[in-house]
Amino acid sequence: MPRNGSSRLPGFVLAVPAWLWLTAFFVVPFLQIAWFSLGEKPGMFGSHSNAVMSLDRYAEAFSPTFFTIFRATLWMSVLGTVACLLIALPAAYFMALKVPAHRRGLLVALVMVPYWTSFLIRTIGWKVILSSEGALAGFLTDVGLVADPHDLLNTRGAVLLGLIYNYLPLMILPLYVAFDRVDSALGEASKDLGAGRIRTFFQVTLPLARPGMIAGIILVFIPMMGDYVTPAVLGGTKGTMVGSLIASQFLTAQNWALGSAMAVVLILLTMLIVILAISLMWAVGWLLHRRSRLVIGTVRTKEVTA
Amino acid sequence: MSRPSGTNIALGAWTTLVFLFLFAPIIVIGIYSFNGGRLLTAWDGFSLEPFTAIIDRPTVRHTVAVSLQTAVVAALLATVLGTLAGMAMARFPGHWTGPFTLLLLLVSVTPEIVDGIALLPWFVTLGQDWSLLPFNNGYVRLVIGHSLFATAVVTYIVRARLVGLDASLEEASADLYAKPVATFFKVTIPLVGPAVLAGGLLAFTLSLDNTVISSFINVSGTTSWPVYVLSSVRSGLKPEIAAVSTILLVFTLLVLGLVAWVLKRSGSSVTDTMAVN
Repeated sequence: MPRNGSSRLPGFVLAVPAWLWLTAFFVVPFLQIAWFSLGEKPGMFGSHSNAVMSLDRYAEAFSPTFFTIFRATLWMSVLGTVACLLIALPAAYFMALKVPAHRRGLLVALVMVPYWTSFLIRTIGWKVILSSEGALAGFLTDVGLVADPHDLLNTRGAVLLGLIYNYLPLMILPLYVAFDRVDSALGEASKDLGAGRIRTFFQVTLPLARPGMIAGIILVFIPMMGDYVTPAVLGGTKGTMVGSLIASQFLTAQNWALGSAMAVVLILLTMLIVILAISLMWAVGWLLHRRSRLVIGTVRTKEVTA
Repeated sequence: MSRPSGTNIALGAWTTLVFLFLFAPIIVIGIYSFNGGRLLTAWDGFSLEPFTAIIDRPTVRHTVAVSLQTAVVAALLATVLGTLAGMAMARFPGHWTGPFTLLLLLVSVTPEIVDGIALLPWFVTLGQDWSLLPFNNGYVRLVIGHSLFATAVVTYIVRARLVGLDASLEEASADLYAKPVATFFKVTIPLVGPAVLAGGLLAFTLSLDNTVISSFINVSGTTSWPVYVLSSVRSGLKPEIAAVSTILLVFTLLVLGLVAWVLKRSGSSVTDTMAVN
C-alpha cells in the first residue's frame, strides 16, 4: 500500500513482523478467551465448550466467593497504590530537586536494581524476613508487639507489604521524571510572589507533577490487581487474590469458560477503576487550578511593577 | 535553596529509609545463600554447601539451563522484531503509528496473568486441535510467552534512540548517492546499535525472570528456573535456591552494568563522529 506511489517499500513494512507477532500471540489469544467466556464447562473431563452460548459464566463470575475475593483484591490494590504514592512522593521529590545533579543518575540506577532483579526472589526474601524463625519475628515477639512469631507471614498484611515493595520502583521512577521536569524557576517565581515553601509545593510543584502521578498509579495499580505471585509466596491460604482464583480455574478446576469470564471481568473492572481515578484526579486538579488562578489574578497588578 | 534545612534533612532520611526498604530482601537473600540449614527460612550457621549443592542437583542445573536457553532465543527474537518496529516508528511515522502504539501500550499494561491464561488455551488450540506440533514444545511456548513484553520494550528503546538522533545523517547519506539499503546498513544500523544491544540485554533479563506466563504455559520437562522456585515455595524452599539467585543476581547486575557502559560510551562516540564530520 505505497501511498506516494514510489518504487521503494513503504517504511511501515519494518513494523509488520512485530505487528503480526503481537497479533498472533497477544490479540488473538485474548479474543479466544473472550469467546470461551461465553461458553461452558462440558462435564467432568472437558475444559470448555461453546456449543451453548450464554452470559451465565459472567453471572457465575459475580458469585459471592468471587466478589468477596475481588473486593479484597481491589481494597489491597487501592491501599497498596496509595501507600506507594505516599512513600514515593517525598523520596522522588528529594531525588529530583534536592540531590546534586551529578548524583541523581546513581540514585535512579539504585531504584532500578531491585526492579531488574527477580521479582519472585525478592518476594521470597520477604518470606525469609517475616518467617517465624527469623530475627524480626523473634524481636517483635520479645518486645510484645506480636503475640505469636507465626503472626507475620501468611497474612493479608504480609501480602500488602509485598505488593507495596514489589511495585514501589514503578511509582518512584515516573514521579522522579515528573519532578525533574519541573522548572525550578517556577518555584522561585512562586516564592517571589510571596507563597511559602509549603504553599509553593502544594500549588505549584505538585500539580506540575500530576502526569507522573497518573503514570505511577497506572503502572502500580494494574499489575497489583493481577498479581498472583506475591499472595502465593507471602499470603498462604489467607491472602488469596483474584489472580490466584483465575489461575486455579485454569490449572486446577479445568474450567476455562469460568476462568476466561473472570479474566475479562478483571480487565474491564481494572480499566474502569483506572479511568475513574484519573478523571477524579483531573477534576480535583481543575478545581484547585480555578481557585489558585483567582488568587494570582488579585496579586498580578502589584507584582508587575516590581 | 538546597541549604540543609529541617525539611531537607527529613526528606533525606525518608529517602534513605526507602532505599533500605528496597534493598532489604535482596541483602537477606544474599546472606541466606550461605545458610547451612536444611530449609531456607531457618538460619543454621554459615556454610558454602548451598553453592556446592547446585552441582549435585540435576533439577536445579536443568531448570537454570532451560531459563538461560529460552532467554537467549527470546531476547534475539524480541530484538529483531522490536528493532525493526522501533526504526519504522521513528523514521516512517504515518497513520499506522497510532494503532501500533496502542497495541504496544496494551501489551505493556496487561497484567501478566492475563497473557498467561490467554496463551495456555491458544497453545492447546494450535498444538492439539490444529496439530501444529511445535506449539506443544515447551521451549517454543516459553520463547513466545517471553518475547511479547520484551518486543514492546525493545521497540520503545530503539524508537527513543532514533527520535533523539538527527535524521540528517541518513539524509546526508542519501544525498551522497548511497542506495537506501546501503544507508540502512552503513548509517542507521550503527546509529541504533547501542539501543539494540541495550534492548536485547534487557529482554534477556526479563525472560530470565519471567514467572507468571511461564507457570501457565509450562510443559513438564522444560520447567524454567522461576517456575521451579515457585513450585518449591509450596514444597519447601532450600538454601540452594538463594545461592542460585545470588549467582543470577550478580550475573544480571553485570549485564545491566554492561548496558549502562555501552550506552554511555556510544553516547560520546556519536558526538565524536559528528564532531569529526
